[in-house]
Parts: sequence; C-alpha cells; structure tokens
Amino acid sequence: MASTGVRARRSRRPSTNGSGPRTFMPPTPGVAEPFRLTPQIALRIAILGGIAIAVFGVLFFRLWALQVLSGPQYLHAAVNNQLRSIPLEAPRGPVLDREGRTIVDNRAATAVELWTADLPKKWSARLKELQRLSKIINVPVAEMVGELKKRGGDPATPVIVQESVHREQAMYLQERARDFPGVDLASTYLRNYPYQSLAAQVLGNVGLIAPSQYQHLRSKGYRLSDKVGQGGIEARYDAYLRGKDGLAQLRVDALGRPRSGLITEQTAQPGEAVRLTLDMNLQRAAERGILAGIAAAHGSQCVGCWAADGGAIVALDPRDGSILALASNPTFKPSVFSSRDPKKLAPLLNSRVARKDNYPALDRAIAGVYPAGSTFKPVTALAALEERLVTPTEPIACTGVYHVYDKQGNVIPGGTFKNWDPFVSQQMTLPTALGASCDTYFYELGDRFYKLPAVRRHPFQEWAARFGFGHVTGVDLPGELPGLLPTPEWRKATYTRKTDATEWQVDRLWKPGDSIQLAIGQKDLLVTPLQMARFYALIANGGRLVQPHIAADVEEVSTRQAPGRVLHSFAPPPAPTVKLDPLYLDVVRQGLYQATHASYGTSTAVFGSFPIPIAGKTGTAEKSVSIPGFTGKMDQSEWCGYAPADAPTITVCALIENGGHGGTAAAPAALKVFEAYFKTHPTQVGVPTKSD
Amino acid sequence: MIEAVDTRARGLRGRRNEAVEAASVVRRLDWILLAATGALVAYGLWAIAGITRHDVTGNANYYVVRQGVYASLGLLALVVAVFVDPEYYRRYRKQIYVGTLGLMVIVLLAGAVTRGSKRWLDLGFFKFQPSEFGKLLLVLFLAGMLADRAKRIGDSKTVLTAIGFAAGPIFLVFVQPDLGTAMVYTAALAGVLFLAGTRWTHLAILGGATLLAALLVLWILPAAGHPVLKSYQQQRVVGFMHRNDDPRGATYNVTQSINAVGAGGATGRGVKGATQTNLNFLPEHATDFVFASIAEQRGFVGVSILLLLYLLVIWRALKVMAGARDAFSAIAAGGIVVALLFQVFINVGMTVGIAPITGIPLPFVSVGGSAMIANLLAIGVLEAIYVRGTGRRRRY
Repeated sequence: MASTGVRARRSRRPSTNGSGPRTFMPPTPGVAEPFRLTPQIALRIAILGGIAIAVFGVLFFRLWALQVLSGPQYLHAAVNNQLRSIPLEAPRGPVLDREGRTIVDNRAATAVELWTADLPKKWSARLKELQRLSKIINVPVAEMVGELKKRGGDPATPVIVQESVHREQAMYLQERARDFPGVDLASTYLRNYPYQSLAAQVLGNVGLIAPSQYQHLRSKGYRLSDKVGQGGIEARYDAYLRGKDGLAQLRVDALGRPRSGLITEQTAQPGEAVRLTLDMNLQRAAERGILAGIAAAHGSQCVGCWAADGGAIVALDPRDGSILALASNPTFKPSVFSSRDPKKLAPLLNSRVARKDNYPALDRAIAGVYPAGSTFKPVTALAALEERLVTPTEPIACTGVYHVYDKQGNVIPGGTFKNWDPFVSQQMTLPTALGASCDTYFYELGDRFYKLPAVRRHPFQEWAARFGFGHVTGVDLPGELPGLLPTPEWRKATYTRKTDATEWQVDRLWKPGDSIQLAIGQKDLLVTPLQMARFYALIANGGRLVQPHIAADVEEVSTRQAPGRVLHSFAPPPAPTVKLDPLYLDVVRQGLYQATHASYGTSTAVFGSFPIPIAGKTGTAEKSVSIPGFTGKMDQSEWCGYAPADAPTITVCALIENGGHGGTAAAPAALKVFEAYFKTHPTQVGVPTKSD
Repeated sequence: MIEAVDTRARGLRGRRNEAVEAASVVRRLDWILLAATGALVAYGLWAIAGITRHDVTGNANYYVVRQGVYASLGLLALVVAVFVDPEYYRRYRKQIYVGTLGLMVIVLLAGAVTRGSKRWLDLGFFKFQPSEFGKLLLVLFLAGMLADRAKRIGDSKTVLTAIGFAAGPIFLVFVQPDLGTAMVYTAALAGVLFLAGTRWTHLAILGGATLLAALLVLWILPAAGHPVLKSYQQQRVVGFMHRNDDPRGATYNVTQSINAVGAGGATGRGVKGATQTNLNFLPEHATDFVFASIAEQRGFVGVSILLLLYLLVIWRALKVMAGARDAFSAIAAGGIVVALLFQVFINVGMTVGIAPITGIPLPFVSVGGSAMIANLLAIGVLEAIYVRGTGRRRRY
C-alpha cells in the first residue's frame, strides 16, 4: 500500500516542481484513487475547527472574567493567603488581697510548641521525634498527639505542649534544634503564686479552653487556642483578668512556614488587677488553724479523732459580707497546673487518686456539705422565739434523755433521744441551754414545732430558709453548693417506691424525730461552712443577711510610678434584713457569749481568756462517712462565732472533718484566726473539755 | 545535468530517496506551524524560567536548562519525523500497537512509583513516560486501521473494532493510575472516529454510551457501593463543580489556582510579585498548574498570547489535515489535533475551574521531558504529512 502512495505522489511531483503540466500522461493502472477531500470530511474538519474556536472562546471568556473583571478581588485573596494573624498573648492581670498584696501574678516562662507543618510528614518519624521530645520535657506522647489531633490541620497556630521548661531543657532543645524539626520554643506567661498553696481552691488556675467551654465562650470572642480561667477567681473574673490579646501578622508560605518577622498590628492589652477582700495574713492563719485543729484532734483521746483529715474555715466581715479568709484543707499548690507534672496533678484531676488524698481540689468552705450539729441551735432558738413557742425565760428541763410520747403516754418507737451529756438534770432557760448546748432543751423545741397545727405550715424551715439555709449564698465563686434544708415536702418527693420497696411509705412521712433532730442540726440537714458563717454574721450584725463576696474591685495594674486606679468597684451586695425581735436576738447573743465564757460554756476553755470578748457555739455533727479504713458515723467538729461580742467585726466558722467534739478541734482552729485578726492571744491556755 | 541524471536514476530505481529530497522537503515545510510551535516552546521556556526560579535552591535555572535539553531532543525528533514517510506508520501499525502495549505493561510491572502511581520507566538519565508517546502512537495505529477500512467505515463492526483496540492502552493507562491521560486517549479515539467518517448515528450512540458510563462511574456505581475511581480522583473530577464545599481538602488546588489566575489581573504580577507561585500556594506550578502560574506572572495579556499560539498551531494542523495526501494522513493529523486541543482545554480549564482536575500537562509548556519530546514528535508527523500533502500545491 505504501508504494501506491509513493507512486501517486511521484506522479504529481513534476507539477509541484513547476516543470510543466503533466495532463498528457495516462493514469497508471492499479494506482489507487488519490485521496480527495470529500465534502463529508471537509464538513467534519470544519466542525472540528468550530469546536476549537468555541473552546478557545470559552477559555478567553473565563480568563477575561477572572483576570480583568474580578482581578482585584482575587489579588486581595492572594495577598491574604500569605498573611497569618498571630495573636500576641496579653499578660494576665494580677490578683491582689485587700491590702494590695499580690496573690497571683505572672512570670515569664519558656513554652515548647509544635508547628504541625514542620513536623516530619511520615507518621513513624513524627512519632519517633515526639518520643524523644517526651523524654526531655516530661509530657506523655499520647497527650501531645491528642493535642495535635484536637487542633486538626491548622498550620497557622502552634500547639503548646509544655508551658514551663527549665532553662536546661530549653538549652538542650535549642542546641539540637536540627534534630527536632517543628519543635519551637516561645516565651509565654505563667501564673505565679507568691503565697504558694494559700487560697489554692479560691484562686483556681488557668488552662487551655476545653472544647465544652469553647462552645459557650466562642460567642464572646474566645479562640480555641486561648487560655482561660479554670475554676475560682480566675474563672469568675476571667473577663477582667485576661486582658486583650494583640495581633501580629506574619508572612508565610503555603506550608505555613514564616517568611518574615512578626509585624505587630495591635499591641496586647494587659489584663486588669482584681482585688479581693481576702486578707492573706488571715488566710494563712486560717489554713494553719485547720492544721492546728487536725493536730488537736489527733492529740485528743476522742473516739474516731484519728481520722481527722481535713477542714474548712470561713472568716467574714459581718457588717458587709466581705470574705476575709476562705480556707480548705487538704490543699495543693496551684503552680502544679503550670508545671504539668502528671504526678502532682493526679490528685486534682484523677478521681481515684483524689479520693485517696481526700479531694484537695474541693473547696470545702463553699462546696463541702455537712450536718450543722449544735451550731444550728441558734436557728432553732430564734425560730422558736419568733413563733412564740418558747419565751426567753421559760425553764425547760435539761436531762440525759428525751422521750416522745404518744397520746396514751407511751414512748413511741424511735422516740428516745439522748443528750450528749447523760448526767445533767437541771431546768434551763434559753441562754443557758445555748451556753451549755443542752440537746434535750432543743429536742423539746423541735417537738413543739412538730406539734404545730397544719395551718401553721413549717415555720421552723421557713425561718431557716430566711437565714439562708437550703440555697446558695450567691458568693462570687463558681461551684457553690446549696446544702439541704429538709421539709415534709422534700421527704415526700424524695422517698418513693424506688428508694425502698417495703418501707417507703413510712420513710416519706415527716415524723417527730425529723423535727427533733433538725432542732439540733442533725439528720438530713446539710449546710456549707459559708452558709453557717453567713448566719452567724446575721446574729452579729443585728439581723441582716449579708451576701458573702470575695472580689472588692477591678483596678489598673499598679506600677512603681502610679498606684492602680480603681476601674470598677464591686459594691457589697444589698443585705436584706430579716425581721427579728431585737430582744430575741439579744437572748441568742447572750447564750453564745455564755458558751465561750460561762463555767458551763462548751468552748470556755478555748476562748474564755481571750482579751477580746468572743462569742460562739460549738457543734458536734454526726455524719456518715466512708474513708479508707472506716465506714460509719463520725463526729464533725464545728465552731461558729464572732468577735468582739458587743460590736462584731469578724465572724468565723471552722470545721474539722472527723475532728470529734466542737471544742476539741474546731474551736482551737477558729482561735488561730481571731489571734491573727486581733494580733493577740488568750491569757490562759485552757484544756478543751469534752463538750458538744 | 546532474540533476536530470539523478532524477532519472531515481525514477529508474523506482524507490524514493529521502536524503536527496531534503532540500525540497525543507522548502515545502509549513513554516507557520513550525514558527508557532517554536514560539510556544520558547514562550514555555521563558515562563518556566520565571516560575521555577525559587524551586531549586542554589540553582535558579535547574528546570529551564533541563527543559531546554528536552526541547532540543524534541526538535531532533521533529526533524527525524519530517523525513519519515507517514506511510511507514501505516504499514507498521501492528508493530507500533504491540510496542505501545508492551511498553505500558513494562511500566506497570517495573515502573517507578511516584506519588502513588506508576507512570515512568526510570532510565537513569531520564524518566521515560511511555503514556505520553502513546498518545501519538495510538492515533497513528487507529488512523491506519480506519484508513484501511475506509470503505467499511459505516459498519458498526469497524467502529467497535477501533474501540476495542483503543481500549487496551486506555485501560493500561487508567490503571497506572493516570486518569487524565486515559481521558486524552479517549478523546483521541473519538477524534479519529469522527474524522474517519463514522456515521452520525454511531457517534450519537457512542456519545450517549460515554455519558452513561460517566454517570455510572461517577455517580451510580459509587452510590451503589462499588466505587470505580479512587476517592481522590472522584473528588477531583466532581469537585470543580462545587468548589466551596471543602476549601482545605480536594478543592484546595483549584481554589489556589483560581486565586493565582485572578490575581494576575490584566498584566500580571511579574516573577517577583507572584506570591501564589513563589510561596508554593499553587501546587505543581511547573507541571499541571503551570498555566495558573503564567496567568499570575504574565496576566491576561500573557495568557492570551499563549492561547493564540495554541490556536495558531491548531489552525495550521487543521490545514494539514485538509491537505493530506491520503485518508490515513488526514485521520492521523485529525487525531493529533483533537488530542492537542483536548489537552489544552482540560489543562487550562482545570486551572480556571471549569474542567475537572486531572494530571494533564500543558503541551509544550509544562515541565516534563517525555511530553515535550512526544509533542514535538507529533508536530514532526504533522509536518511530514504536510510536505507530502496536496495542500502544498494550492499554496504555491
């Protein structure tokens, strides 16, 4: 076939060579018809040409639209492409105590951060590098991988894996930067705690925003890479403390690698200082007081006092409700949140370890709930007086046992209640009964409440609620618990067929024992130390229910040149007055004074010789506890009171868990606070007596 | 006299003597096509020089030098092709076909794996990509086959046979996997069938079948749980239609490419100012997305020149087809034109977001030796057809 083509061509060649016409030559036989452009093929070539024109037309049109019509818009996009906004961390504002002493401030630290884009792409190589890094900076590989995953593919912001490396660690990493691609050191701010563990639970800490928090906070302008206050003051006043992050821009390439230095667009605005009402000297005294109380419990011979292992102290200014000290024990050093030492963090984050260490992160002052015990007796007394169930001068027998009789005059089942002092037998008026903490006197008052006709409803609980029990105080700290103020309605709602299949119909009844035990702050009643302190402040200030608060104001951060200007002052919240007969209040005060000064007073041995008159009440509350090595009822040692007794300026409530009698552990603990507050000591050191 | 003797001697011997014809061949060349091709290559080298300036640290001219070497090799191939009578391709088309298939099988068996696909034979000094040459070789084979059956072109059997033969290379390229080149082969097949004179009804049926197959592959089978394409291929093919779904994922390339093209504006941002290219926001900016880089650096003016050069090449190639000496030459030229047109459209269309993302290089411009040499070789074949064609006569 090739030859035919060649021959055909050759036959044409002369004409193309221009050597004259060849028309006279006869066609060679057997030669195929030369290819001719048939109309059909021509049409198809034309169609192809048309398609080509159309294709190029489309391309030109599109390019015109992109480049000429929308060019500026895409140019903008391309320029933005290479600019990354980097937040400049604003230094967090300090926390001050009422005297302006710094409780929390910042210290410069070196953080280790990972830049996703620069880490080895190969998973195995990346893992190997992280393993080596883990050995140096003490952060588990799993944690780093988790953080990287959480941030996803964002190459623009680094993932901080360790916030405070030591100088040696930083130097080591710096010298071996080549072996650690994608690992970078950056300066950052860490919270610094000059008072170490003091007020740890109150302050809270600062940490990366948790995904669940981010959902609430994103609308307020928080970013996923932000640090935010976690718990305590840091969380409650985060808006003031955090300041405003600045903004810098960085030219980067497609992999997010910086190609220029930081260009500051907006400087960071440091956070403001938050001044608390806390007095750190008093706070220290309170925390030492708890330890002293625990030691006193251990040193006493009382049953179960070996288990004393924690406590809380609240000190309030009864005039306005400002919190002077808020101590909880066991405690911790908030700085462990910066060092991220897993061992030291475990008691705070791991519930199993926390149980073993008796929950150091728990702020017992606002979130620990305990039966009030005898410290609740003033509530009973005031309620009974106001409801005219007793007069200040009515003598009631104080005996070793109290019986509840039915209409036939028989003791009802479970109707026998013991006095803490089985040997007493004496008629008492209200102040004496408070001073000696006579249980049977108050059993009688409880029984009188129980016997009230239904139309009177439950005045006892109503008074207790007016005094602030059963609901939160509204203190400006997160995590406060309301406790429990039992009422017949509560019993009815709580005990159902599900709680006890056989006895539930008995359980749900409000029985005489409920009123009688409530009268001495036992059984179902649960209160927080802060609620108790607030109630004693009400006695101290003449009937005003103050709202405890801990923040005093927000100020500019003071410098050497200029003291901080107050930007926003938190006025003491209004304190509603509970309408009480001043005479009755006076009777109760008298009783509380006798409790600390009369020969039969339950804490006279501790406070009797203190130069400033202190009035207050002991409490020994039975609580079912489950601690390692023991499950059963334990005495919680409590004391609440105020000083000076005639014009109180401080109210203190102390509680020692499993500390035995109120006078044994809690009263000495509270004394430490008074000593620090008045800068004086008792003239005589008495031996605590066995007392309620 | 010598000339006369010579002429007679050749005539007596009854066979062609190409060497002697060299001078006349050179005179008969389509200089416009050559000039357009040369301009394309030169423009491409100039563009590559600007685009790859920051790609290899310490050697700004790395790519442009390599590309220049390939262009020279391609020129050599072009020259050789001009002097080879296309008739030989027709005569040895079976060997060509078997050779092409063989190379592709070797690639599958012994090819170097790069980014998950086997496309190259590593020859040490040169990474040889047979599928680039396959475009030309398949066209030559199909053209020869269809030209021989020109009388029976209306038979559906002829059409099916052509499709059957083409299916082999298409399949082998598809499994490399190289979806883009498989698409180019398919386009070439369609072009060849179209120009060989396949009936319109057959073409319509084929078009319908292609549409159905595309629907099956892209939509129906994946929906039924039997995906044919790898998921990245699927996303690329479909992704350009709804680009804003996932700016960080599969459509990242297109978004960045459109940004680059648009940012170029009317006159371009220049070599230094082209941040999309220089800061690597634009992936594969010397190969698949080279057009976007040119658009960013040279602007609408620059790409218009480039596109007009392509249009010129295609116009001249259509002329070659129209003036071809025989059916084989015409069909072969047509296949080459369609493949070229298809590659330019898909590549440019991809960078401006109107065509699916497939790894098709931009002819004569994208960095890559095999493609450059194969494309210049194809131009050489076009020239060979032209110099032996009837079209010459009408022009002089």
